[in-house]
Amino acid sequence: MTLSSSAAWFRLASVALFLLATVGARVAAQPAQLAPADEAALRRLIPKADHFELVETGLRHFRAYSSGLEPDGRMEVVGLAFFTTDLTPRIYAYKGRITTLVALDIGGTLVGVQVVHHYEPFGYFSIDRPEFSEQFLGKSILDPLEVGEDVDAVSRATITVEAATRAIRQGARQLVREFLAKRTTEP
Amino acid sequence: MNQTTRRWIAVIALSGIFLLDGVTLMSAAAQSVQPDPQPLSLDDLAALDALIEEETEGAVGSLDEGALLDVGLLALVLGFAIVSFLKKSDTLKVVSLVLSVGYLGFAKASLVSVVDVFGALRWSLPAFQDGQAYYLLILFTLVSTVLWGRLYCGRICAFGAMTQLLDRVVPSRFRVEPPTWLDRRLTKLKYVLLGGAVFYFMATGDTLVYRYIEPFWMFTLNGNAVMWTLLTILLLATIFVRNLYCRYLCSVGAGLGLLSNLTLFGIKRWSECQTCKLCEKTCEWGAIEGPKILMSECVRCDDCERLYADEARCPHWLIQIFQSLKRAASRTGQV
Repeated sequence: MTLSSSAAWFRLASVALFLLATVGARVAAQPAQLAPADEAALRRLIPKADHFELVETGLRHFRAYSSGLEPDGRMEVVGLAFFTTDLTPRIYAYKGRITTLVALDIGGTLVGVQVVHHYEPFGYFSIDRPEFSEQFLGKSILDPLEVGEDVDAVSRATITVEAATRAIRQGARQLVREFLAKRTTEP
Repeated sequence: MNQTTRRWIAVIALSGIFLLDGVTLMSAAAQSVQPDPQPLSLDDLAALDALIEEETEGAVGSLDEGALLDVGLLALVLGFAIVSFLKKSDTLKVVSLVLSVGYLGFAKASLVSVVDVFGALRWSLPAFQDGQAYYLLILFTLVSTVLWGRLYCGRICAFGAMTQLLDRVVPSRFRVEPPTWLDRRLTKLKYVLLGGAVFYFMATGDTLVYRYIEPFWMFTLNGNAVMWTLLTILLLATIFVRNLYCRYLCSVGAGLGLLSNLTLFGIKRWSECQTCKLCEKTCEWGAIEGPKILMSECVRCDDCERLYADEARCPHWLIQIFQSLKRAASRTGQV
């Protein structure tokens, strides 16, 4: 028995709609996923936190929580972290973007910096060295955080170090500002 | 001093050392304990806003003093190279080579690299605010190649300049000239290397390969054991075969060689060049083949152009002088 063409179209459309709705609902219900590799890196940078969350609304970043509770029963935020490529995607170094994972405490102090990935030809003797990341630790976002002032310049790799530092500085300041602004407006 | 006194002194000294050690350890521990972070206050927030504001305003095309100095010094070095080229002076060329090795090489490590070819392919170039000097160098290289040929290779590139200076101090008895048939084949090798490097980069995205096909990193003085070994072999070989890297292996030279097909102002040739081999023998770069100049191999070193202008050596002038003498002789004969 053959269906009339309009009935066939109606069935097809309803099946398609059903599929779309199911998949859509699934996707919408999916909480922002924290990749295991990212979580491992975050644990290294903020060892005192027990739980991490990925926040994708607004500036994409990670929040680090400790098991202690705030007075209102929420988990206590002990740190923030971000990938520089998420917050300052337009900062190009000598060859493309430099992906750096930056961790801060809620006082605006840099507590962990890890250069994850880059294409810099002179990276192996500048930003890949642990000395580059380590010099940021303990510095505040209110510090200059500028090459030649409180960040060491690496001669012959100026562009690389400048861009990596600028991405860390601008990203950290933006993120802390947004975090504090939310804190002060939230009840 | 009896034994008991000595023992006491030893005990006191040792315990003093332990005590000092303990105090330093404890104070180090006290320093390493970080106080709980104090959340930023509203005053801090205002300061933060000011900092962000300041940076957003200053970001647009600002040329700070450091960048201005870089651009200025680079312009001086490039300008001097152009002057030495236009004057066709050998002395000025040596000064230009020394400037390139010293400033562009060891001071700035700023050389055009195959990485720049990769960057151009992926359109991934440095931020203009960090790289004004870089862009000036690239612009100069492209423009000068289109105007005159591989001028960059001949006097701007610090490595090329270094091997040319090396060639001037190495005694000529060490030198081995590859036979023409071999030379012609070897010159193609750099194109293969450029193609291979570009293919490898497109396939893997790995830019670090440059360290093993280019010696330019040497001016950064940062390399691993393999890199230093390869460089040593290359420099030792360069003592015997002059300009070995530039002629046969340089992928940047290959790229500029391709570009030099567009060159506007080539080298003038006399009609006598059809048969004369003087320049062909003089050319240190194997860039002259009979009457023809191979623009892709020529680095505008001026050697042949100085010869053309030399009325005592170039047959063109000798023939002219001979002909005018003959004319004069026949004229006097008529009278």
